Amino acid sequence: MSREVWSQTLYQQRRALLGWVLGIAGVSVMYAGFYPAVSAPEFTEAYASMPSGVVEAFGMQDLTTAAGYLGSTVYGILGPVLVMVFAIGWGARFIAGDEQSGVLDLLLAHPVSRPSVLLQRTLTLVLGLLALGITVVVAVFLVSGPADLDLGVGQLAAASLHLVALGLAMGAVTLAIGAATGSKAAAIGGGAVVAVLSWMANALAPQAEALSWLTDVSPFAWYAQGQPLVSGVQWGDVGLLVGLAAVAVAVGLALFRRRDLMV
Amino acid sequence: MTTTTAAIETRGLVKSYGRTPALLGLDMRVETGEVYGFLGPNGAGKTTTIRILLDLIRPTAGQVRVLGVDPARDGVELRRRIGYLPGDFVADGRQTGRQLVEHLGYLRGGVPRQRVDELAERLALDLSRPIKALSRGNRQKVGLVQAFMHDPELLVLDEPTTGLDPLMQQTFLELVREATAAGRTVFMSSHVLSEVQRGADRAGLVRAGELVTVESVESLRERAPRRVEAQLATPLQADEFAALPDVRDVRVDGAVLHCRVDGSPDALVKALARHTVLDLVVDEADLEEIFLGYYSQKEHVDVA
Repeated sequence: MSREVWSQTLYQQRRALLGWVLGIAGVSVMYAGFYPAVSAPEFTEAYASMPSGVVEAFGMQDLTTAAGYLGSTVYGILGPVLVMVFAIGWGARFIAGDEQSGVLDLLLAHPVSRPSVLLQRTLTLVLGLLALGITVVVAVFLVSGPADLDLGVGQLAAASLHLVALGLAMGAVTLAIGAATGSKAAAIGGGAVVAVLSWMANALAPQAEALSWLTDVSPFAWYAQGQPLVSGVQWGDVGLLVGLAAVAVAVGLALFRRRDLMV
Repeated sequence: MTTTTAAIETRGLVKSYGRTPALLGLDMRVETGEVYGFLGPNGAGKTTTIRILLDLIRPTAGQVRVLGVDPARDGVELRRRIGYLPGDFVADGRQTGRQLVEHLGYLRGGVPRQRVDELAERLALDLSRPIKALSRGNRQKVGLVQAFMHDPELLVLDEPTTGLDPLMQQTFLELVREATAAGRTVFMSSHVLSEVQRGADRAGLVRAGELVTVESVESLRERAPRRVEAQLATPLQADEFAALPDVRDVRVDGAVLHCRVDGSPDALVKALARHTVLDLVVDEADLEEIFLGYYSQKEHVDVA
């Protein structure tokens, strides 16, 4: 019985997850495949002429190294955006979405507790994110030979772990808002606001000394600042992201247990 | 709370949604092994009560015991022993009935496939079709299968016959009778009197968040007013019928008699037998009329 909820949820989402896996694999392969063109000298000059503020705001690193290129592309913008959209979508659906459609009513009329449902669906979210993270590693690794990307599986895995942790933080915040309120709109809105603010905080922080503290409170900074593609897993940053997820789920759980399920 | 364990017992159950009151102190006792019809118009608080029994919502005040247990404290163990049919049965439409029922069975630690097949066969339900492809009545049957399949001690059924054709309603009543014969308790809500009359032993009448009265189904039937319209071959006089016992509100329109019968229709039938009756229509009164009947009688008693 105890595994029934998360496995069923994953099973129900299998087609959606397959779509996400294929999409993120395609994006990874495309970006990685462009590396030989981008690392050509003309691009290096163009890159050098860009204002440093723009470069930093968009999380761009040295595009001519493999780590810098991937850190600016797959792991820089599109990867995190896709992963966060995915996580917010599942997070909003798993409690609030099912509650609004009436499906949650039937589930909770069975011998399962609300904490169990919330925790098992958090597990489903983690599994979905791991699938995406692993997909990126595999996709980039497969084209790294032909594309002359000089990166090991370990570096890719480290960056993907950061990616998964970022998604987990955003998904958990969304899930918690949905569990606390029962409103899918509030969950998506709340998750999106947190995601956008944390991205903006990370983008603004390098622009002025007075703003540098923003990296301490921005989950996106926790994701990106340690440059895991170069330096490996930054356990402190990953810990912050997972910690945020844990706090969000705990708060969501406390409120979810107490309230009425909506019809 | 009383010493013997009732299947369901509530004391002063109050539920408000914000400032909107839904239950205003409901006192109810459902005995083990009976079929209890929970009868009331829409919006009376039936579904609210049922959702409290399952711990889907929490009471604002008052006490609840279901199978001797407080739903808010031991909900998981309690729900293991309950079969529940929601008033609005919704499930993910992409899966087949079989997949849904199996999933719900796993949540209960496994349910014999044989039992599921037997229920589906009796209800003439094809479990291999996706739920979204099923008609409303067939979806309701899936709901019935999952409620009955684990042979629960207590069945909580919110408007169970919604969408079922008369033949299937009959099958449903058989399932209810089999459950009570095996010592189970059935608590079913309805806004249709005849449905409760056919299926229940006792009926609790709920209105505007309060239990108005609890009666055996027989006494409810005696009290239930019926509207009668009789088309005779020749014009008639109102006086002939106005004085009959249990007959009220007599109105004559040429050869057509309109009246209301509270209690036994015997006198009216015998009076009509003296005429040539071309057509006879007897309608069950709606619930509001029953409640009005109850209130007017209560006032008589109060005055006396």
